[in-house]
Amino acid sequence: MTTLPLDPLTRKKIHRFRSIKRGYYSAIFLAAAILLSFGAELFVNSRALIVRYEGRFHFPTYGSILPGTTFGLDYRYETKYRELKRKFKAEGRGNWVLLPPAPYNAYENDLTEGIYPPTAPDAGSGHWLGTDSTGRDVLARLVYGFRTAIVFSILLLLCNYTIGVTIGCAMGYFGGKFDLFFQRIIEIWANVPFLYIIIIVASIMIPNFFTLMMIMLFFGWIQMTWYMRTATYKQKSREYVLAARAMGASDPYIIFQHIIPNTISIIVTFMPFSISSGVVVLTSLDYLGFGLPAPTPSWGELLRQGTSNLDALWIVSSVVVSMILLLTMVTFVGEAVREAFDPKKHTVYE
Amino acid sequence: MKRILSLIVAAALTGIACSKKAEEAPKAEPGSERTAAAGIYKDGLDELFKHPKLARADALPKGIQWLTNDSDPVFASPNAKKGGTYYTYMDSFPLTLRTVGPDSNGSFRSFLFDNQMDLLHIHPETGNLTPGLATHWATNKEQNTLYLKLDERARWSDGVPVSAYDVAFSLKFYLSKEIVAPWYNTQYGEEYDTITVFDDHTVAIKSVNKRNLQDLVYYATMEIRPRHFHEKLLDKDWVKNTNWMIEPNTGPYQISKIEKGKFVTFARKKDWWAKDLKYFKNRFNTDFTKVTVIRDPNVVFEHFKKGMIDALPLVIPEYWHNKATGEPFDKGYIEKVWFYHQRPQPIYGVYFNQDVEILKDKDVRIGISHALNIDKVLKTVLRGDYVRMETNTLGHGAMDNKTIKGRRFDLAKADAHFKKAGWAERGPDGIRVKNGKRLSLRVTYGYATHADRLVILKEEAKKAGLELTLQKLDGAASFKAMLEKQHEIAYTGWGAQDRMQYWGQYHSDNAHKTQTNNFGNVDDKVLDPWLVAYKDEFDLKKKAELAHKIQQRIHDEAYTVTLWAAPYIRFGHWRWMRFPDPVASMRSKDATTYPFDGDWGGVFWIDEDIKKETQAAMKAGKGFPPVTLIDTRHKRG
Amino acid sequence: MSAYFARRFLLILPTFLGVTMMVFAVTRFVPGGPVERMIAEAQSMQGDQVRDSGKVGQAALSEEQIQDLKEYYGLDKPVLVGYVLWLKKILVLDLGISTRYNEPVWDLIKGRFPISIFYGTVTMVLTYMICIPLGILKAIKHKTVIDNISSIFVFVGYAIPNYVVGILMLVLFASYWEIFPMGGFTSENFDELSRFGQMLDILHHAVLPLTAYMAGSFAVMTFLMKNSLMDNLAADYVRTAIAKGNDFRGAVLKHALRNSLIPIATHFGNNVSMILMGSFLVETIFNINGFGLLGFDSIVERDYPVVMGILVISSLLFLVGNILSDICVAVVDPRVQFK
Repeated sequence: MTTLPLDPLTRKKIHRFRSIKRGYYSAIFLAAAILLSFGAELFVNSRALIVRYEGRFHFPTYGSILPGTTFGLDYRYETKYRELKRKFKAEGRGNWVLLPPAPYNAYENDLTEGIYPPTAPDAGSGHWLGTDSTGRDVLARLVYGFRTAIVFSILLLLCNYTIGVTIGCAMGYFGGKFDLFFQRIIEIWANVPFLYIIIIVASIMIPNFFTLMMIMLFFGWIQMTWYMRTATYKQKSREYVLAARAMGASDPYIIFQHIIPNTISIIVTFMPFSISSGVVVLTSLDYLGFGLPAPTPSWGELLRQGTSNLDALWIVSSVVVSMILLLTMVTFVGEAVREAFDPKKHTVYE
Repeated sequence: MKRILSLIVAAALTGIACSKKAEEAPKAEPGSERTAAAGIYKDGLDELFKHPKLARADALPKGIQWLTNDSDPVFASPNAKKGGTYYTYMDSFPLTLRTVGPDSNGSFRSFLFDNQMDLLHIHPETGNLTPGLATHWATNKEQNTLYLKLDERARWSDGVPVSAYDVAFSLKFYLSKEIVAPWYNTQYGEEYDTITVFDDHTVAIKSVNKRNLQDLVYYATMEIRPRHFHEKLLDKDWVKNTNWMIEPNTGPYQISKIEKGKFVTFARKKDWWAKDLKYFKNRFNTDFTKVTVIRDPNVVFEHFKKGMIDALPLVIPEYWHNKATGEPFDKGYIEKVWFYHQRPQPIYGVYFNQDVEILKDKDVRIGISHALNIDKVLKTVLRGDYVRMETNTLGHGAMDNKTIKGRRFDLAKADAHFKKAGWAERGPDGIRVKNGKRLSLRVTYGYATHADRLVILKEEAKKAGLELTLQKLDGAASFKAMLEKQHEIAYTGWGAQDRMQYWGQYHSDNAHKTQTNNFGNVDDKVLDPWLVAYKDEFDLKKKAELAHKIQQRIHDEAYTVTLWAAPYIRFGHWRWMRFPDPVASMRSKDATTYPFDGDWGGVFWIDEDIKKETQAAMKAGKGFPPVTLIDTRHKRG
Repeated sequence: MSAYFARRFLLILPTFLGVTMMVFAVTRFVPGGPVERMIAEAQSMQGDQVRDSGKVGQAALSEEQIQDLKEYYGLDKPVLVGYVLWLKKILVLDLGISTRYNEPVWDLIKGRFPISIFYGTVTMVLTYMICIPLGILKAIKHKTVIDNISSIFVFVGYAIPNYVVGILMLVLFASYWEIFPMGGFTSENFDELSRFGQMLDILHHAVLPLTAYMAGSFAVMTFLMKNSLMDNLAADYVRTAIAKGNDFRGAVLKHALRNSLIPIATHFGNNVSMILMGSFLVETIFNINGFGLLGFDSIVERDYPVVMGILVISSLLFLVGNILSDICVAVVDPRVQFK
């Protein structure tokens, strides 16, 4: 940390953040969870981590599929590693397979005749959280759904903030007709029932990850714009800006050198809340059936399944608990960040 | 105008036994009640017969041989008791009480529709014609005209006798633009030549087509509408004005109470004109039928388990196997029935759009057929209850080509056919490639609840090197996309038809254009003449031969893959709801869902003594032996 | 200041026009409108269950017939012409006729008012009744056990969307323990109950959805109350009052509290529209026939006149509610100047 050239103010803020324990630990936990989810293929996957076959090592996790013929099996589609493991074990010829702890991916239907999905959690089968109504592993769908949601939210946030900061600053800085025009646009935007737009797009094309994001972006930029406008407005009338202008600084210079650095705390404080709202919106849409197409793993889809299969408590409870954990922790982080950037010194009377 | 309206409505209401509070219907003015002994409605007949398709004649042609049927077995139970209320549900309140016109095709429609008796009914066991509104029937030598003698006892619920003029008016009604039902306009316009009235109760319906008797009855009869009710209303506001009016009917029940958004109650007509006729006796036993709105399927089940509704269909495997278990079932309060029948089945299938380059190749289509693991879906999520639909008809008796076997999931065969079509290589993700193009196809579908079935097909298809991407659209939007041929592969279901029709779905006249049902864009010069011949064929045997040839060709060319069917009725009912033996017939609909159906409906009864006994037992915690009746006498294979 | 509010009210008009025009145009381009719906229905294709199809409905419609149907639903005119016609009717307070229910849109909306107003007002009253005292308590007992424990609940309530709270409670209390009903506004046998029984019945049905409704707004309001009270307690005038020998209790009640209610007041305007709109997700889960569910159903069923009618009412409420908020602030806090 010390090698980074941080100004004392920022260092102070970080220090303050670290002193707020629940926010700090939540942040560490979340960061770890996000990082781990990028390597989810190593923990939750139907592909084996390592296969030792006839004296050679194979690492099937990433890359092209290895057809069954690679391991002397009689089919050309992707090797079923769980079966392979049993086979190697039974043969006892020194070949072995190392599977991830949860040996299922988010798409495959683990169905056996006579046992009907959804099935309850069972460590023996490797379904730690049971299966859903088509026999897919709930844990796998939860993990990959988490990754989708978090990546979605972060990308959405970046786009939203880029647009929001640009337009918001411009509105606040230039004011006048420009400001008034965008004020009207924002008011209109805020009123449009956006479920509609989703239905239109869903019926014209499969709303994939990016189209869905475009639609959300279409409506999501207004919030940040609004906050940035107000912040810029305040900064603009401060003495140092007036001074800079008096010294003949150009508009872009003032915006980038003075205004944005001074409003950065607003941007940072809003970030965690934007992430949680991104997750919530995506989940709600999936829950209603207007989100990512089947069979993309998603929390909303799990919620939907959970509410229509109330008997299968493991589906609804695992997704609800995950949601509560994630969103509460994000909120903790958010509160801590806010506290760190904008400390309120309270007077406590005894 | 308003006065006339309320007069008519009042007339419609007086015929009902228990019409104290029909809250939503326009209120009757005092003193406007008509007596039940009103005569045949003959106002404005000259105007009626100006219609180009209606005519009057004095004498019947010579040599007509009247037929009737009073010798088939009785199927209702003599043990049936009258009384009680049958409680059932609907998932949403009807949007209208009309049975034609916009938004009339909801699930509630059958309650209204079935209370309008047919001209002729079909015996559920023998399949023969039985009397309905008409007692006698006959055809001419040319086999294009149906002569009918109406039952003189038949009455509308307001007491007005049913007459031949009602039959004539009905055609005019269905052909009018005012009802905003273009399908009726088209279909009836193409089917009916003329309707000739000979006297108050004798009528001849001439079809444009030559048909055998059964087909003639099927195509050339219609629901009869009360002329005295509709004629004055039939203007441009008909749809709006009649939206919540209670139409006089001829069947056993009439609406007695409505609370909008909540329930509709039907009351049995105590002096229904047909109550003692041979095929209607001991049927339609409950005094009331209350249909309550319950939106959520989970709540429906809760209500059923508490006895607040008497019966519930359990066709879906999850319901039968998972939900329909526990105390009320184990203790025998609720009994379960699974009855295999041989009714025509809805056709679920995937349709390959042959305007898509990849799908033009027959080998690709056959390859895909072998890459769909339908058996796995049947055995897992459908729990082995459903059966594979081998060809694109099921439940049409001799018309089904039973020699055809649907293609099974077979990776070797799929591989061979894909190879033949040039899709031999596989990419790094295991999906086949040809000239840099992946073997990836989009499946468009509109049923949210079928996603689990499609997901399995998709996963299994990967093994064959075929990628299916799923495009879920909203119901109406998906159908529009298919009508406009925007799909690559369409996954859809067609409602069960009493008579199979092929022309619309397979003839080249309907290919490569929008708004037609030829979802495959099938353009097959071999098939075309057969389709036309089938449509016009009069001889049942030849028609069956043609049907077999058509089905064979569709199979050989792999134009579609048909998926699954549930050839049974299955429901649970509280033990106080009693049924005749057998509980259903091979041709019948589920009587618990269609309680007013003219052919089979109303065969059950509510036994109040058993109800008291059961309720007492439930309080005391006592049970009865659990009952699950599985009747396989009509099961195939 | 009245000039400011007059201008604000005037600005409602262009916003209102913008919103309605945009949605109106969108409704015209959404596939699966009433005409297509009718076509699909004729094929018995509606919904997830394929029903038996009659002999009618197999035929394809001609262009002319489709045009007739479009005319019947008023969809035959160009977008702009259609919009102007619609606007003209709005001016005489005619919201049109629902294409699904063949009833005046206003009647449909009116029918949902009692339920929505019931839930809306009860939620709001309860929220204020709980949040203000709780906020005060938390502010005074800052960093004590009470504050920390209540914070956890408030945080969780804030973090998760209210429909998830609804699902959680539905699973636990309605499905698993069967303490509360699965949904609906009243029981089946509501009419047979005594007056007291009816009240109990409504309450019994209302507990879960009300909790879900409150979950979100509850947290925001509590924190708002707490933080603003603490700001004021830290302010010089309160310190001065205490230094002058006023007791703490008196200082809080007399000086700090009044000023702390300002941010709560600004929220009032937003809550006005909340009363009516509720949350359609909560209404969907608990099967409550309120305003929100009507809006959602009308979107799914493509009942455009109802969609537009609800849009008119909700956007007007929203716009007026915003101004109302500002007026509230002006009333509570004389220092605020709007120009």
